Amino acid sequence: MMNAKRFRNISLDGVLRNNPTLRLVLGTCPTLALSTSAMNGIGMGLAVTFILICSNALISLLRKVIPAAVRIPAYVIIIATFVTIVRMVLDKFIPSLYESMGVYLPLIVVNCIILGRAESFASKNPVLDSACDGLFTGLGFTWALTLIGIVREVLGSGAIFGKELWNFRIEFFGSAAGAFFVYGLMIAIFDGVYRSIETSMRRKKFYRQADAVLAGCGDASMIDDCARRDRAEATATETHTEEN
Amino acid sequence: MQKVSVSDSPHVRGKRTTRGIMLDVVIALLPAAVMGCVYFGWKALLVLTISILGSVATEVVWQLCRRQNIREIFRSMDLTSVVTGLLLGMTMSSNVPWYVPLLASVFAIGAVKMLFGGTGKNIVNPAITGRVFAFISFQAVMISGWAAPRIGALGGAVIDMQATPLTNLLDPTKGVGAMGVSNLDLLLGTGVMGCIGETCKIALLIGGVYLVVRKVIDWKWPVLYILVTGLCSVLFNGAQWNLFLPSILSGGLILGAVFMATDYVTSPSSTAGNVVYFIALGVLTALLRKYTKIEVVSFAILLMNLFVPLINTYIRPRVFGAPGIVERCKLRIAARKAAKAEKEGQAQ
Repeated sequence: MMNAKRFRNISLDGVLRNNPTLRLVLGTCPTLALSTSAMNGIGMGLAVTFILICSNALISLLRKVIPAAVRIPAYVIIIATFVTIVRMVLDKFIPSLYESMGVYLPLIVVNCIILGRAESFASKNPVLDSACDGLFTGLGFTWALTLIGIVREVLGSGAIFGKELWNFRIEFFGSAAGAFFVYGLMIAIFDGVYRSIETSMRRKKFYRQADAVLAGCGDASMIDDCARRDRAEATATETHTEEN
Repeated sequence: MQKVSVSDSPHVRGKRTTRGIMLDVVIALLPAAVMGCVYFGWKALLVLTISILGSVATEVVWQLCRRQNIREIFRSMDLTSVVTGLLLGMTMSSNVPWYVPLLASVFAIGAVKMLFGGTGKNIVNPAITGRVFAFISFQAVMISGWAAPRIGALGGAVIDMQATPLTNLLDPTKGVGAMGVSNLDLLLGTGVMGCIGETCKIALLIGGVYLVVRKVIDWKWPVLYILVTGLCSVLFNGAQWNLFLPSILSGGLILGAVFMATDYVTSPSSTAGNVVYFIALGVLTALLRKYTKIEVVSFAILLMNLFVPLINTYIRPRVFGAPGIVERCKLRIAARKAAKAEKEGQAQ
């Protein structure tokens, strides 16, 4: 069984730390093509999430059966099976989404996020872990795609989730060039926010450890001293990175 | 004993600053801008003002976000954003709504210049990219809905036309005769519809001459670009020589060739590289004009700007003191002759 810490690690990895779109820059082709609207982004994201969960679980089940030499073809066959299922279901029940996703739906077969998770995670880990990893990686992909989709839809066609906001559109954001532009900005913003959070968390951890150590000594002035030095160091590194 | 002073390089410093050069460019642009306002009225002035203010404001706001002192920002401002704003406004029709120059200038300065690190760090020309951004985003107002100039054959007609002389010229069903204006009109801009700064060629040429006299640009490159475009336009259309002058004098070719393609930051550093760059620009402009049937000078320059790092990688400027191409060829011939003579000597 999976413990809480491991679950937390897998979920944080998938959604934030190793976000497939914004940090690993995988699955770029569907990201650029299907982020024209928020609805497309959600549709694509959920389709990929479903396929990721199923393929990860199945590949993890078969990880001791599949010979290493032919593992990639085996993965592709497994993934293709689930893609076909999703295609048939979408075609039957949500034909509008099926239409708008077009060629990118069958192309999920060669999506590098799915193949990447199969190769780097599902082939080495137990079933439940792998399914969890698939779920959270898929959710990470979904939120990133939806966010890009919202930005592009609001600016490019003056609407949000298909509902018209105003009659003003900057067509650049609907075009392929705009997709690259928004995607690049998103990566930059995410990276900046991520780094600042990471730094502050590391600092907090350091304080906690220092507190614990110094509580034993019973000397309060040393804690202040330590904190002051740490703050000076932090500002020094900040100015340094800004110069860079 | 004579004293020798030792100092670190650079030993010779030029007196020209970026701000001085940019001031020259603004002065050179003024005649065309003024003529644009004369032809297209207060609307043109409004577009130019918005785009200049938008550019400068974007730069100042960006610097403020970088936590710089406001006084310091204005002291170190090098006028490049003014040039960008002015050029950007001049590449738009006077009929565009107010938000088009504003958004285009914010994009030009914010996304193209400041995001890449400010003056001198941009990989493409900000004004050109701003125009292309506006062109893609607001095609309806950028491509049609031209205002009629107040002086000339149209005489300030109230109706706004759909086609400039260039689009008539490029239309295969119409031909040269359909332009409705003579070559002299094209040169003066009388009765010519188009962007604010591009119709009065004579004013642009005066500005270009000023820049050449002030040694801001080299006269060879704009001339090369313009001539290659004219020649290619003639050749691609089955050697119709009567197309030569109209294809040079219509559209934004002269504005682009004199003020945009010659941008220091986004043109090659070596002479040979410049030859390649400007010939390719000319061929590309004529080719794209023929097949897209719209004015493509801005797209051609944007595209070639992206090739400049490649050109700079393969065609490097000659190192001071090293032999040039001709000398290298001479040296090689001499070496070959010497080798031959030695061989013959051995044979004997």
